[in-house]
Amino acid sequence: MYLAEDKAKASTVQPADGHCADTVDLMTAATAPGGKWQTFPNSHISHHGAACCDIAHEWLIAFDYAQLNGGDVLTGPRWMREHSKWGPTAWPIHWCEAVDADVVDCGVHAAIAQEAFVARGVPAFRAQFIQRYSADATASWRENWDKESVSDHWIDGDAIYHEGNAVLVGTDEVKLWDGSAGWWINPRGEMGYGSLAAVRIEADLEGFEDGLRWGERRIKLNQWVAV
Amino acid sequence: MKIYVSGLYAGGNPQPGVGIVRSLRQGYPDATIVGVEYSNRVSGIHFDELDELWIQRPWGELDLDAYGDKVCEALDAGGLWISGSDLEAMWLASVFPDGHPNLLAPPMSGIKRITKPVVEAASSLPIKIPTYLSTEHSDWDLHAFCREHNWRVWLKGPYYDASRTPTWDTFTAVRNALSKVWSTEKLFLQAHVSGYEESVMLSAYRGELLGAVSMRKRDITPEGKTWAGDVSEVPLAFMEPLRQMVRDTNWTGGGELEMVRDGSDQLWLIEMNPRFPAWVHGSTIAGHNLPALLVQAASGVVAKTVPAEASEFTRIVLEVPVRPDYPLPPLPEPFAGAVGHSMKHPSGLTALAARLHKIDPDMLDVAMAPDGTEPPNGLAELPDTFVADIGRQDFDAMQTPQYIYMESTAESLFKRADDRAHRLSTNDVEVISGYSIKTNPDKRLIKLALDHGFYAEAISLGEVQSALEVGFRPDQVILNGPGKWWPEGLMPRETMHAVFCDSIADLDRVVAAVAAGEMSAKHIGIRIRTPNITSRFGIPLDSPTTFAKLIAAVKRLPTDSAFGVHFHMASSHVGVAQWWHLFESMLRWCQSIEKLSGRTIEMLDMGGGWYPDDWHEDQISKIARAVERVRTMLPAVRQIASEPGKAMAQPSMALAMRILEIQEHEDDYVEAVVDASIAEIPMHFWQPHRMVRKCSETGELQPIGRGKTHLMGRLCMEHDIIASNVQLPEGTRAGDLLIFCDAGGYDRSMSYVFGRG
Repeated sequence: MYLAEDKAKASTVQPADGHCADTVDLMTAATAPGGKWQTFPNSHISHHGAACCDIAHEWLIAFDYAQLNGGDVLTGPRWMREHSKWGPTAWPIHWCEAVDADVVDCGVHAAIAQEAFVARGVPAFRAQFIQRYSADATASWRENWDKESVSDHWIDGDAIYHEGNAVLVGTDEVKLWDGSAGWWINPRGEMGYGSLAAVRIEADLEGFEDGLRWGERRIKLNQWVAV
Repeated sequence: MKIYVSGLYAGGNPQPGVGIVRSLRQGYPDATIVGVEYSNRVSGIHFDELDELWIQRPWGELDLDAYGDKVCEALDAGGLWISGSDLEAMWLASVFPDGHPNLLAPPMSGIKRITKPVVEAASSLPIKIPTYLSTEHSDWDLHAFCREHNWRVWLKGPYYDASRTPTWDTFTAVRNALSKVWSTEKLFLQAHVSGYEESVMLSAYRGELLGAVSMRKRDITPEGKTWAGDVSEVPLAFMEPLRQMVRDTNWTGGGELEMVRDGSDQLWLIEMNPRFPAWVHGSTIAGHNLPALLVQAASGVVAKTVPAEASEFTRIVLEVPVRPDYPLPPLPEPFAGAVGHSMKHPSGLTALAARLHKIDPDMLDVAMAPDGTEPPNGLAELPDTFVADIGRQDFDAMQTPQYIYMESTAESLFKRADDRAHRLSTNDVEVISGYSIKTNPDKRLIKLALDHGFYAEAISLGEVQSALEVGFRPDQVILNGPGKWWPEGLMPRETMHAVFCDSIADLDRVVAAVAAGEMSAKHIGIRIRTPNITSRFGIPLDSPTTFAKLIAAVKRLPTDSAFGVHFHMASSHVGVAQWWHLFESMLRWCQSIEKLSGRTIEMLDMGGGWYPDDWHEDQISKIARAVERVRTMLPAVRQIASEPGKAMAQPSMALAMRILEIQEHEDDYVEAVVDASIAEIPMHFWQPHRMVRKCSETGELQPIGRGKTHLMGRLCMEHDIIASNVQLPEGTRAGDLLIFCDAGGYDRSMSYVFGRG
């Protein structure tokens, strides 16, 4: 995950740094649905301002369309998970790096999927999730992220912060796409391992003052909503 | 209370019997549940919740009349019967045409109304039926269906069994196999629908819906069968028409609607089964015990309710003790020298299918058209020009096998293409056609191309020379392909119309050759290889890295030639709709290439591999729209070249042959040896040919339909079978003339000399 405010100072960030320059207090208790991620911004991929990133971005849009294979434009960009596995990403990351990387985190997957959906003409919004796992799972991920010297601030106890997309499928109905998993999140709201504890959809309120419908729920925009 | 339950097969593709028993046991702990089976190899008979077993001999051996009497006795004695097998339910419906109060299976009238693929009874439900076509249609039409649906099609039998047939040879092989298994030629092709699978299970008694649940598959076996799922209420919009459907069909028993939900949330009905599904107990776990509701309605005895344990279920594999009175039979020995054991269903269900056909030849029919509609006759119509061209031949003086040049057919095809190109051209954008010489290098066809304003598309310098010999000028030649420098020394020094580079190495060589004055072209461009389609040609776009190399390479192209892009994929191979998606995708790639390289595209060359019907008949409006799309997306394009390829060549020749010998075998099976072979018609595996016999007495052209005759080529090679499952017209004998049309494309250009001396 990469913080929006860092995009502005991307040129000053050394890619070798390997850690997110976040301003979130990692020790904040998860008292709200968002917990320590209460004000956490969505990840944004940086642009070198050069041909390398232009080429990568153009390739992404054309490649996604090619992969649609004649299918419905609402088909999730499942190809992303095949193209780049889920794993640690050192932030900041630029388009030319993100699109060509073998391993990327959910922030990259979500940022790429967002570009793909929008280029297809599908209204889509960035979405943030908090998911329940287990101590074993989060310990394992913490170890993997540590090995790559990448910040593991997305892990908090048995919970994790995750990113995806909310894709508009009706006038005010969305489906939630988890690009790192390659599936649509089940809106039935099961509890337990891997389940969704909270969601925040970042979108312009205009036209959606009552939020967006996801399954049986209505999700208020730009705020964490417990599931 | 005694309840008979059948369909206890509990292998990887299980029947519902064990699930029904588990559910009934929850609802009626004290009931006597009798497991009914037709083989002691069916593992479900060892399930310990069964109180009694009633094991019959396999369906192939059973005396059906006597067995029917026994079932009747059991029902008359108060026993209830829940069938777990489609075919058994059909047989029971034939035994009890008016039903029986204790038979908890649908009546024959209801079963007939859920016959695949139309599933007429479900027409009021908010679901669609995927497009389908009966295999009673001609091979010509079936091939067209496969192309139209991008070869993402399934060949299905009346019950069970569906095989993907991604190529024509697979289709013909599967058709033979399924016809044998189901003792019927009446199969159907159905378009694939991509999406998530879900089902609605129902329970009904005498036309009253007792309950229904919805299930989404959450894990599947390699065969696509349910392994895990989540259960929920059926939405009201579905429930009400479902209730009406149950009334209309006077349904009794379980039932399942198998569906796919596509990306736009549309439900497509794949089939409806006249029984509970194998995941039936998953529903009971979720608090919906539909088998118990059925028994409750039939018996009046209230079932014990058990609260839901979860809304999701999954399967596990369990080892259970074998009942000592039904010890496991030995596994049959593999045939000598063969690999593996027969894994057919142990109860011999396909034998039951054959017997049901004898009881009622229409019972297992697939439902294709409304009653009274004339069924297709399986014969492809011959165009008038074919008849005229064949009629002009002097077959008496003709040595066979012999290719026949279909003169008026060829002329009309080239003329139509010429007219269309003119019609689509504007002052700003010229539309031209290129004749792909490799498709058929016959000089008569090349000349026709020249006379009708085509350009010559060549993939070798030898082909360039052929075009020049016929009269093409170098500036009417488009040079393409990976080996365009071969043979050496024949590259024209005059300016050619266009040269396309197949790789970056090729591009660098072209750039060097142009710089050295060794070649010149009005347009120099690239062939691109769009991702997601397997191809050995063109410059790949698979990764940002390869794309960056392409952009850099385009920047190296000489600036005194116009820039062009070539895109080629055989539409007959990938399917028509897929081709148009690729076309659209290619335009997007072109926009990106223009934006990133700074070079505007002035010529677009789009091939190819068009099947004649797709090109000549219903594509005109699509091609016009495509031209418009190019104008919008790539405004600098001044010329669009299309390469109809085999759309021109394939119908332009036919192959005449004579029957050498006819061998009659048992069961109407006939083998006829002809003097042609796969050396003259090498594409027979990949495409159908419209075939006719010329009647030796009347001279009439008689279409050859489908039947039990195999046409064997003259070669001493095992695979020299040039047509399978055809029906020669009455009176055909040795010496008669057969004509295979549609042989002027790769059949002609790839024919070889094997077996000619």
